Amino acid sequence: MKQMTENQLQELAQDLNSIRDEIVADLGERDANYIRRVIRLHRALEVGGRVMMPFGFIPPVFVAATVSLGLSKIIENMEIGHNVMHGQYDWMNDPSLHSQSYEWDTACSSDSWRRTHNYEHHTYTNIIGKDRDYGYALLRLSDDEKWHPAHSLQFLSYIMLSVFFQWGVSLHELEFERVRRGEIRMRDKIPFLKDTLRKGGRQVFKDYVFFPLITFPVAPIVLAGNLGANLMRNLWSSTVIFCGHFTEDAETFDEKDCENESKGHWYLRQLTGSSNFTGNKLMHLLSGHLSYQVEHHIFPDLPAHRYPEVSEKVQEVCRKYGIHYNTGSFRHQYGTVVKRILKYSLPDRLRMRLESQPA
Amino acid sequence: MLARIPQTRALHWLGKQLFNRTDPAAFFDPLLETVDPMLVQGQTLARVEQIVQETADTRTFVLKPAARWAGFQAGQHVNICVEINGVLRTRTFSLSSSPELWAKQGLVTLTIKRLPGGLVTNWLHDNLRDGQVLGLGAAFGDFLLPETAQPVLFIAGGSGITPVLSHLETMAAQDFRAPVTLLYFVRTQQDIIASERLHALERRYTALTLKIIQTDESDKPRYLKSQDLEAVPGLKARQVFLCGPMGLMDLANKQLHEHGVRETDIHSTFFSTVAPALNADLANQALGGKVQFGKSNLQASSEGDASLLEIAEASGLSPRHGCRMGICHQCSCRKTSGTVVNRLTGKASGPGEESVQLCISIPHGPVSIEI
Repeated sequence: MKQMTENQLQELAQDLNSIRDEIVADLGERDANYIRRVIRLHRALEVGGRVMMPFGFIPPVFVAATVSLGLSKIIENMEIGHNVMHGQYDWMNDPSLHSQSYEWDTACSSDSWRRTHNYEHHTYTNIIGKDRDYGYALLRLSDDEKWHPAHSLQFLSYIMLSVFFQWGVSLHELEFERVRRGEIRMRDKIPFLKDTLRKGGRQVFKDYVFFPLITFPVAPIVLAGNLGANLMRNLWSSTVIFCGHFTEDAETFDEKDCENESKGHWYLRQLTGSSNFTGNKLMHLLSGHLSYQVEHHIFPDLPAHRYPEVSEKVQEVCRKYGIHYNTGSFRHQYGTVVKRILKYSLPDRLRMRLESQPA
Repeated sequence: MLARIPQTRALHWLGKQLFNRTDPAAFFDPLLETVDPMLVQGQTLARVEQIVQETADTRTFVLKPAARWAGFQAGQHVNICVEINGVLRTRTFSLSSSPELWAKQGLVTLTIKRLPGGLVTNWLHDNLRDGQVLGLGAAFGDFLLPETAQPVLFIAGGSGITPVLSHLETMAAQDFRAPVTLLYFVRTQQDIIASERLHALERRYTALTLKIIQTDESDKPRYLKSQDLEAVPGLKARQVFLCGPMGLMDLANKQLHEHGVRETDIHSTFFSTVAPALNADLANQALGGKVQFGKSNLQASSEGDASLLEIAEASGLSPRHGCRMGICHQCSCRKTSGTVVNRLTGKASGPGEESVQLCISIPHGPVSIEI
């Protein structure tokens, strides 16, 4: 990580705080209208997808229905659910958009998400051993972790995780690796498991039982379409999230460097541990503006559609302190993620030998 | 009609499974409101039918609530909810019309005075137009008429006339057969709210004696006097209803007491929108303390009579809230430890875990709150 003095860090914190204050003071109708428009789009896509699905015996309708439902899930999870739960719209005082009571359309319960993502991941971002989102206790993505023969197949694990992403996320808080190591007891996870079973069951019931059954003669088509929509959401959200912290230049941190850290140090860690990708407005919407992961990590509770305007100012601050602002095209950033997963699946000696060869 | 879907428990359960929300009917609201805002299920809305300018700073808004609105009793109030610059704001007002008008024409009225510096009242005056909609909560409050006809005395001041208008219209419509007197205090002749309605009531409803007193028309302010009460026949047998500014309420309570009116016969309603001054006992106590916000992992300290809601907001949190005056309970949340003092009653809470209203709870020593 870039070395900065405490004074510099303090100044960095002041600069970033003032960017934040400026946006907070300006929050109002524009932001309320934005999120309401996105919610209307989500409702239209979901209703449209569900209504079209039984007519999926006509192939183009099947595609339209599946894509419509898939997009609705993507928008609900990424731009509405994730952002609302961060408290980005709490100031609106609208009970249906309140961070603590919002429940989203995915297997993971919102309560579990608020604990593992909002608290753990956003507080301990990229600290190896503290941020369980780093590799999801499944992938080895840096040499902070010792290589193990099982890692050689980790690209397959990655594919499986992406395909079943909503289930992976929903079981994240189980901390199975720690249960296996005997660090925590399974018994203590019973309340979590009950909650997860209830929420996951609800999602299965809805997409794989209820909607297929009420359209009985065409149940297989509806089932296939709903599976397709969930798969589409799983692959996309996993891809976006992997681009946020596992790109080539996204840094990792050591627990002891972050003890009693100042706000400035926390900001620096968020700036250097996250990565953006560029794209058009649709890409930003579908990624829930996590294409501005850097901005999201320094200001997780500012309405996400503000990140593009915040980004300009953040880049200025980064230039001022010589901090690397990690961004690139979606293809480039995702390419480096895939490379990283493959690279660290190799034993260190082999990896270093390959790395030392000119590309 | 979608609004007619029976809200059975089974259907509600199914809705929860399908839409991941405790109010599944509201899932379609974003689409329905583009067709007609009144179709919205998440809250009950009312449409503005007419706006009447009562005085220079007071207007009556005639509203048509959605048919499912549950109605009210004369003298009750409602929470209304409007969005101002992206933020939902809830405020409480008394209904100024009679339940008869609601039953017959499906209309209710709110009579609202601009408060100096008031965000919502001024917005309502400046922005609310015919045809617009606002959220209307269920009616509540126990400023109610006696069930059987008994002599009644109303003492109202300024815009405190609003629930009394509802009472009088109701009494006239039901032909309430007992002497009724209204002492109505206003600053000047120009400040009489609903003057025409009051005079029409006086003509139509012969049991009513109307006395309007201008406090600021002469050199010396003309407040409630002992003679005003002496002039009310059979004062001791009357049920007395008070609604007005704090000064008038205190004065009336004191004088009624002197005239031997029993405490149980005096009914008053909360009118002032600014938090009433803390009582003397409370002012002597040391208020404030360290506040621990459990879920947010934040700490703040406060001095004086800042409420938990104000302290939380000053710390950058935005807890759910509504009226900010202790009425709507939108801001209720768990206190895990510590003592708070209720700003309205001046009473201290217990030290243990319980639900408190953030907007009227003042820390009294260290407090932990689950937000």
